[in-house]
Amino acid sequence: MKLKKIFQNIIRNLKFTMSNITKGSTTINYPDEKRDFPDKLRIGTFGLTVDKDSGEENCIACKLCERICPSNIIDIEIEKRDGRGFAKNFFLDLQSCIQCELCVQICPVDAIIMMKVPAEPVTLRSDLYLNKSKMMSNAKLYKESWARGSLLQESHKPIIKESK
Amino acid sequence: MNLFIDFVTPIFLTISILILIVAYLVWLERKVAAKMQSRIGPYLVGKPHGLLQPLADALKLMLKDDSSPKNSDRLLFNFGPIWVMVVSLASFALLPFVFENQMIKTNLALMLFIAISSLIIVGIFIAGWSSNNKFALISVIRIIAQIISYEIPLIISLLIPCIIIGSLGFIEIINYQQTTWFIFYPVIGQIAFILFFISSLAEGNRIPFDLSEAESELVSGYTTEYSGIKFALFYLAEYVHLFGISVLGSIIFLGGPSGIFFTSNFLIVFKALLLFTIVLFVRWSFFRIRIDQLLKFNWNNLIPISFVLLLISCLLKYYMDLVI
Amino acid sequence: MENKIIEKDFGDLALNMGPQHPSTHGVFRLKLHLEGEKINRVESYLGYLHRGVEKLTENLDYDMIPPVLERDDYLSPTSNSLGFINTIEEMCNIEVPKRASYLRVLIAELQRISSHLVALGTYGLDLGGALGGGASLFLYCFREREKILDVLEVITGTRFHTNMNQVGGVRYDVNDESLNKIKDLINYLKPKLNEYYNVISNDEIFMKRTKNIGIITKELVMSSGGSGPVARGSGINYDIRKNNSYEIYDELSFEIPIGKNGDSYDRTMVRMRETIESIKIIEQILEKLPEGALCSRKPLKSAKLLKPPKGSHYKAIESPRGELGFFIVSDGTSMPYRMKIRAPSFSNLSIVEKLLPETYIADAVVILGSLDPVFGDVDR
Repeated sequence: MKLKKIFQNIIRNLKFTMSNITKGSTTINYPDEKRDFPDKLRIGTFGLTVDKDSGEENCIACKLCERICPSNIIDIEIEKRDGRGFAKNFFLDLQSCIQCELCVQICPVDAIIMMKVPAEPVTLRSDLYLNKSKMMSNAKLYKESWARGSLLQESHKPIIKESK
Repeated sequence: MNLFIDFVTPIFLTISILILIVAYLVWLERKVAAKMQSRIGPYLVGKPHGLLQPLADALKLMLKDDSSPKNSDRLLFNFGPIWVMVVSLASFALLPFVFENQMIKTNLALMLFIAISSLIIVGIFIAGWSSNNKFALISVIRIIAQIISYEIPLIISLLIPCIIIGSLGFIEIINYQQTTWFIFYPVIGQIAFILFFISSLAEGNRIPFDLSEAESELVSGYTTEYSGIKFALFYLAEYVHLFGISVLGSIIFLGGPSGIFFTSNFLIVFKALLLFTIVLFVRWSFFRIRIDQLLKFNWNNLIPISFVLLLISCLLKYYMDLVI
Repeated sequence: MENKIIEKDFGDLALNMGPQHPSTHGVFRLKLHLEGEKINRVESYLGYLHRGVEKLTENLDYDMIPPVLERDDYLSPTSNSLGFINTIEEMCNIEVPKRASYLRVLIAELQRISSHLVALGTYGLDLGGALGGGASLFLYCFREREKILDVLEVITGTRFHTNMNQVGGVRYDVNDESLNKIKDLINYLKPKLNEYYNVISNDEIFMKRTKNIGIITKELVMSSGGSGPVARGSGINYDIRKNNSYEIYDELSFEIPIGKNGDSYDRTMVRMRETIESIKIIEQILEKLPEGALCSRKPLKSAKLLKPPKGSHYKAIESPRGELGFFIVSDGTSMPYRMKIRAPSFSNLSIVEKLLPETYIADAVVILGSLDPVFGDVDR
């Protein structure tokens, strides 16, 4: 009968929402509890690395990352000494970054990497306009993400099959 | 002086207890809604359970700016919320809520309660009309049609127990239900209770009959232009009215002060809270009905059922009187 | 003094569902002319979210465009970059390895499920209200969607604009840990989606609000260019994944749900059944995933190396909203001369001006929600 079907539908609907009362809540109270971030996280700031053995900066100021950025946020000035290039100034405007990681992928010496921490809140807009010293200290402060230029480009090599 | 104390003390006591209960009914609703949606409700104010949240809300609403729109009718704009709150509180003079008997001792308590609480619609109409806002106008047009139509099944479903019991006063109704409650009467009790429940949802503007405050189409309905303490008055008046209907339902259908083990006046409030919780479960589970489907449902389905039930109970009472 | 009754005809009441409104799904201005509760006619104004994406790409190289294009239809980002990359690959005759193609389809289907969950959740908000039963449905759908976004974060690094596709293949790889997480997600989602389908398709008030509302006939769909669930709800059996298949969709077996009447109920049911079919696709992908390379071009050294031949080309894919097509005109350099995006929500939204007269205000909201417009896609 039609009335019985209506009654069954109403009871099914009520059971569907009321069965949630016994299950717990899924909220994470942010400042007290934090969730664990995966390895490949790329929503945070950038860092400039140094060579592990010698302590020299890795960046050779080849300007490849400046050319490939879709939002034009990187600005580099070259300075040549000791037979290789160095970056005199390295400006990065974090407000316009779209977190695409193209700059990390194309760097031939693994100089620029992303850090495994969400972007920190600041009070002045000029704090979001990173310069070279801030980026070098970022690399020492925070943990690093997985992605490096050499790792990404190694995985993109087309595997050439030996002809039998 | 004695007369003054006799007159003012019950009013003061009832109103203060009532406002405190209603403020914590808002807390209860937010907690139940949060549990049904797998999140935590009020949490930070009063740390483990958020028990001081109603006080924080009241303080915030009292400190807001008190303004009215430019082209609105100032006097009526300020008068609307006052009327709604005063009439909702005045209807509690007839319920045996805190004391043994109601404050106005009369035999026709049921009819007076319905008559006083039907005046709330005038305040809502004044508020919506004087806002000078198209959204408020459409919402007020809908709400008048809805409340006038749903008063008929409400009154008839409350008349059915009175016919079988034989009186309109609360004292005789409570005395009749000392052994069994009216909801356990063979067929008539359950159908009358379902009719009463559905029409009280419509009278109190709750989902699924919620079109006047339909937030998805009309941005907040007749309370669009209100903010601050006036909005708080509307909000609390809705809960006061709903609590009043729950107390009425618990007296007439669920037996009032009579319980399984003991008899006491606290059981009225306890059963009213039970009815209120069922209204909350219905609110957070269903969608809302369109206005013409709502009116068709009333005039085509609810009213014939209620009239047929009234006829059957009249005939039943006549034959019971003949036999006994 | 005689008593005269002066009657004056004031015309219709003009109500403005303006750019900021709780129920238009984005920035959209709809001016309704009412007579009582019935709508007489409707005027619509678009363009509040126009960002000039098509002009912006005339200054970017082809390798730099996919991360920018993902912001176009912001509820299912990989479908935008997938369509663009397919067009470029057909112009330059680049073949994609099998493993890359499987991974592309995996991410695309996961985002299809998340986009349909958003459509269902916000439809509940329209029907039931932000304080009421609709909010319960909204929070359930978003709770399931959070789990999908967590899996996407493990695979690629961000939850939403994943940048997984690049010209020639895929950028990130899955390992065993990610595959186990995807398997857990599928085992969690499958009974939940079936339960939602059972409850909502039999819900009394939902059926009363959406059946026989906003009936779109087959002629109206074809004359205005509708596609996707809007066309399939009216009975037209057309899905680009089957009729004009791209990537590896012809190696997978799935069905296309079709509606009968063309009302809002059928469109919502088509979307919900599509999510169940997407889960079947993901299960088949997890079984059949082959080993192999991720990309068939050499690793990226400079963006200026990709120069398609002169000419133009058009290719369309199936996004959750309908047929998303890209028309690229190239003049031999490394930047496109002109790129035109055929947006599915724009053509679907043009049906609104013919459907809304002679209905009630409450029905206007229901019809607009069932067409599922996304205004990043309409205005680009």
